[in-house]
Amino acid sequence: MSVQDLTNAIISGINAGGEQFLEGTLAAALPVIWLAILGLHLGRPYILDMIDRFTLRLGADLLWLVYIALRDLLIVSGVVMSFMFFFPDVVTTDQLPLTGALAAAALFGVLLVKLMGDPDHDLNDFRLVTVLLAVGAALYFIPYVVGVQGNAIAAGAMANISNFLVTSSNPNWAVGIGYVATALFAIMGAVAAVYVVRTGGRAEIQESASTRKGA
Amino acid sequence: MKPDDIANAITQALIQGGSQWMISTIVAFLPALWTMTLMLHLGRPYVLRTLRRCGLRLGADVWWMSYLLMRDAVLLITFALSWIFFSPNIVANAALPITGPLAALCLLIALAVKLSRRVDDDVTAYRVATVFLVLGATLYYGPQVFAIEAASQTYLSGFGQIFTSNSDVGVALAIMWVSLVGVAIIAGWLFVRVSINANRTMQRRHAASQARRTPPEAVPVP
Repeated sequence: MSVQDLTNAIISGINAGGEQFLEGTLAAALPVIWLAILGLHLGRPYILDMIDRFTLRLGADLLWLVYIALRDLLIVSGVVMSFMFFFPDVVTTDQLPLTGALAAAALFGVLLVKLMGDPDHDLNDFRLVTVLLAVGAALYFIPYVVGVQGNAIAAGAMANISNFLVTSSNPNWAVGIGYVATALFAIMGAVAAVYVVRTGGRAEIQESASTRKGA
Repeated sequence: MKPDDIANAITQALIQGGSQWMISTIVAFLPALWTMTLMLHLGRPYVLRTLRRCGLRLGADVWWMSYLLMRDAVLLITFALSWIFFSPNIVANAALPITGPLAALCLLIALAVKLSRRVDDDVTAYRVATVFLVLGATLYYGPQVFAIEAASQTYLSGFGQIFTSNSDVGVALAIMWVSLVGVAIIAGWLFVRVSINANRTMQRRHAASQARRTPPEAVPVP
């Protein structure tokens, strides 16, 4: 082995190891992000109850704003960190939950409902957000716990199920699901872009129309 | 192999590997930054809806200020990190999306629209910025997902061959130079615009301070 061979081997080791470490860290952080998202969404009645007890309007406003900012930024972070599920090379190499890409699409759906609806004041929108979060969490946690975290101890039929739920041991399904989720993302992204272009960034379409009339 | 050779190999590997690691980390984070940029820009109606419900002006101001700072800072950082698409050596040697420089150009155009027009008050300007951001994101995501990150998929090899910078270096460099000219033109236009504006503002201020200094003309007493 020449010096150059050794150099090249170390370089590829650093790059491949670093990449897998980064993806592994993101994959390890995602369950925490998902749990925090669920906790904050389901904790809404508790926050509202606390707001009612404030004697100062300032404190109530700040609590509500901090709550909303935290909750929504975590959802945005969850979507951003789930982006690796759309990369075929990553899902075929790393051990990731099989339906993680669909969970990310559900999370993006939550953002779309928040953009086009009003889940904090409209009951139907709130229910839709809750259902999407529940579906997304199930799509993430079931393959994560049974597959990624359970494939080493599973035996018999359970081992087959467990391996089926991990992307690296089921690459064809993983890539297929990734494409379906990418298509869902593209459609929802296009819907969001069209909505925002129509409203011109205003809070509602009607408002922008009336503004134009007024102008 | 002597111990010195191994030491040299490790040193060189750390230097070259570290540099490649830095580039690949930037490339890996760019999709995340692009997504953040888009979501924060497109999320404006939701932010406005929340803002309207604030009972106090202070809360509304803090909310709006945080949103603006985050949105525009992420936009700027995404453009700054996209600068790797304008390094010919990296474009020729690393696997980057071939349309990455065009995506960065679109991002700069969106920034220029924000700098030259009041995007938060002017609906048309907001729409123009949105169109450029969506176009830039599409130019980035398409090759990133289906070419760079899909090298293992044989049926996508044709697409990967066309849209990966180091497999079609001639086209990649041509796109890079064209985009770089675009970036130079827009940056030049921004510089000229800012200096004209600054001159005008300074002159106005100077004239106002001169007027304050000059004593009023004596009014003849009848």
